Amino acid sequence: MEKNCLKSKIWISVLALLVAMPIFVVALSWLFPERELWAHFSTVLLPSLISATVVLLIGVGLGVTLLGTILAYLVVMVEFPGRRWLEWALFLPFAIPAYVLAFVYLGVFDYSGYAQVWMREVLGLPGFDIRTGSWAIILTFVLVFYPYVYMMARASFKRQKINIIEAGQLLGASPLRVFFKISLPMARPAVAAGLLVTLMETLADFGVVSLFNFDTFTTVIYSAWGDFRSIELAAQLASLLVLVAFFLIFFEKKARGQAKYYSNDVSNKKPYYALGFFGWLISLFVFCVFMLSFAMPMLQLIIWGWASMGQEWSVKYVDLIISTSVLTTSAALITVSIAIILALPNRCKRNSPWLKGLISMATLGYALPGSIMAVGLLYGINQVSEISVYFGGQSINHIIFGSIALLLFAYVSRFMAIGYSSIKASAEQIKPVFTQSARLLGASRLRLIWQIYLPMMTPGILAGGLLVAVDVMKELPATYLLRPFGWDTLAVQVYELSAEGLFERAAVPALIMVLFGAVLMLIFQLLDKKSSKNL
Amino acid sequence: MNKKTWVPSILVVLALVVTSVGIAQAKSEDSVTVYSSRKEHLIKPLFESFTKDTGIKVTYLTGKGGALIERLKLEGKNTKADMFMTVDAGNLWYAATQGLFQAVQTQTLKSNIPSHLRDPKGLWTGLSVRARTIVYSTERVNPTDLSTYENLADAKWSGRLCLRTSKKIYTKSLVASIIYHQGKNKAGDIISGWVNNLAATPNAKDSHIMNAIVSGQCDVGLVNTYYFGRLIAKNTNVPLKLFWANQDTTGVHVNVSGVGVTKYATNAKGAIKLLEWLSGAKAQAIYASLNKEYPANQNVASDEVVSSWGSFKQDKMNLAQTGVLQADAVKLMQIKGYR
Repeated sequence: MEKNCLKSKIWISVLALLVAMPIFVVALSWLFPERELWAHFSTVLLPSLISATVVLLIGVGLGVTLLGTILAYLVVMVEFPGRRWLEWALFLPFAIPAYVLAFVYLGVFDYSGYAQVWMREVLGLPGFDIRTGSWAIILTFVLVFYPYVYMMARASFKRQKINIIEAGQLLGASPLRVFFKISLPMARPAVAAGLLVTLMETLADFGVVSLFNFDTFTTVIYSAWGDFRSIELAAQLASLLVLVAFFLIFFEKKARGQAKYYSNDVSNKKPYYALGFFGWLISLFVFCVFMLSFAMPMLQLIIWGWASMGQEWSVKYVDLIISTSVLTTSAALITVSIAIILALPNRCKRNSPWLKGLISMATLGYALPGSIMAVGLLYGINQVSEISVYFGGQSINHIIFGSIALLLFAYVSRFMAIGYSSIKASAEQIKPVFTQSARLLGASRLRLIWQIYLPMMTPGILAGGLLVAVDVMKELPATYLLRPFGWDTLAVQVYELSAEGLFERAAVPALIMVLFGAVLMLIFQLLDKKSSKNL
Repeated sequence: MNKKTWVPSILVVLALVVTSVGIAQAKSEDSVTVYSSRKEHLIKPLFESFTKDTGIKVTYLTGKGGALIERLKLEGKNTKADMFMTVDAGNLWYAATQGLFQAVQTQTLKSNIPSHLRDPKGLWTGLSVRARTIVYSTERVNPTDLSTYENLADAKWSGRLCLRTSKKIYTKSLVASIIYHQGKNKAGDIISGWVNNLAATPNAKDSHIMNAIVSGQCDVGLVNTYYFGRLIAKNTNVPLKLFWANQDTTGVHVNVSGVGVTKYATNAKGAIKLLEWLSGAKAQAIYASLNKEYPANQNVASDEVVSSWGSFKQDKMNLAQTGVLQADAVKLMQIKGYR
């Protein structure tokens, strides 16, 4: 038994350490202090920056929690007109990269956009700069990221025991009271997990903040690197982000408390029926969110794409689509496989705080801006090379740099948090009674994994895989730096065109990306339906 | 998904990964590899034309300038890149200080490209010229009110000015040139004046500045000439015009896009051939028409549209200064709150 533990501990630590490598490289930058630059940064930039970042995190956090939870609750617990297709339609914004949504919103709502032109000319209202202050960028982030909370909360509401809610109803509690007293507390871990992912993604974002010219940590990191040519200072600032993420994870664990609920009965029975006017009101609200976050931007992209299709479409797109598909699938499968190993319930893990810490480390890459993560990886490989050269060996840089393996490594490091959190959540839903009885009946650990854990974790595994795949598809900075020759992706194409201000042409690859994402969602939907039937 | 399909699918992917890593990038003698921070749609036509003329293939990888420089540094002697292509002299200067380039000074280059657009040691060569100047609304601005970059800090432009973000290299180089001509203190006052006159948060793109002027959010702005060229190619009667700044003083701020042959090029001969070809008449004409830039080669005529804006006096400051003064420029803008 003890030996078993040692072996599995070593395995898990090695995996976690590998995935967390870029984090360590970034942390090592503190060995090279940059006093003079720090003086400038800490007096001129950091004060306003920290307040801006805090405002952004609070705004986005509140927004996605409210929107994601309310929407999830409505589609799971309430029957209203159009619910069935809206439930799936709300996932679709996932497929639109944040920076694409940002350039569409700016194109429509900025001073020169037609929404404002119409407001000024038809309604006679004064024009305004939507990039002043932080409300518009917060709104943009909320509309892009609410699906994280929506997805996790929805899965959690679906698993809630209907009979508890019915008991509440019988005792005469109002729907609101049932929501606040029963449903919400039970969904808290899931909401917290979705929120954590959102905040990490907001911290690491570069595309949206640069389009809005909003200063956050990420923009200052780029300034340290690009303007002052100090990759060390950039890495030091980035490690502060990691620290913030670490605190977020800590708070998330606190937010969960000791809450644990086991339930495997997924029921499609709705406890509430919203009929008549009230039902349509709910429909309208959910539909508006869908319109704003998906349908309207899509329409705009189609209008732009239509105009530039002839100019933009070429054989090259076949390559782009193939590269994107291969990278997306491989990265998702590798990430999910490692995440399963890290997330599997395990006696050895339970009584080992440092092992838990290591696993948390492995999920921190999500808070690092993609470029920093990529450069951190290059530096890490370079260190290995230097050690090897020191002992009379070969440098491996030219073999590893620009190889698919390195790019996949970057994806796994960056998106582990996404795969892990949803797989872990599903592992926690398994009732201990199952495993205890299996053990009593003498089942081996392997058999336990195959026959109990994996089948029961399937919904989480599918969701995690899907989320990672969609994120990899949208990923830009790491892909841009690490991709091998001839491995351009759709995201790269979108960036290259939009960076030059050619938004109409950028709409073409963006549309293909959205289609791609929608197909992934569809596959997920089918598998999800199947797996919930099997439970 | 049941357990039977799990294992094979993971194995298949692993096999995929291993094989794709295994496909080594074979490099032949007759191909040149370029790392470029210029976007693909701007360089592909050039490379295709070069291959047609010489039979030499060009492989390229686009990326962000800073990141590619970092990658080149770490790849060291084993880099696949024979050439590094980027925009802005500040970036070329920085790559040169990092020891990434080898000196190339051939007769062809000397006769094709004027010396102020080339690095004195021949480490890099400018291939196209862009001017950053004033763009104004023909409906709301009288051009006689316009004069210099410095004058845009005057209170008469209060609430009428749009600028691009200070995070963009074009802004940094322009401010570096103002520091060079006016000294830090005066430059700081000018930046403060600009910030006070802003009608909106500085824009992420030059195209946004022009949209803002057209829609009445502001009246004047600063843009690179080729962005204006692209706009009027799409919409000929847009109510905007370029104004050549600083004609009675230092001249219009110009910058280049350019290339250097990497220090550890495996095919330096091919890279030099490509460099010479890029400085020649055919390529320069492509530069001029494709992106509405000014050809660096003085014997090549500008694009018709570009010529119609008239000729102007250029700032003759040595472009390496944009690199030398870049950090100062950024610090100054950060202190003065120019976002």
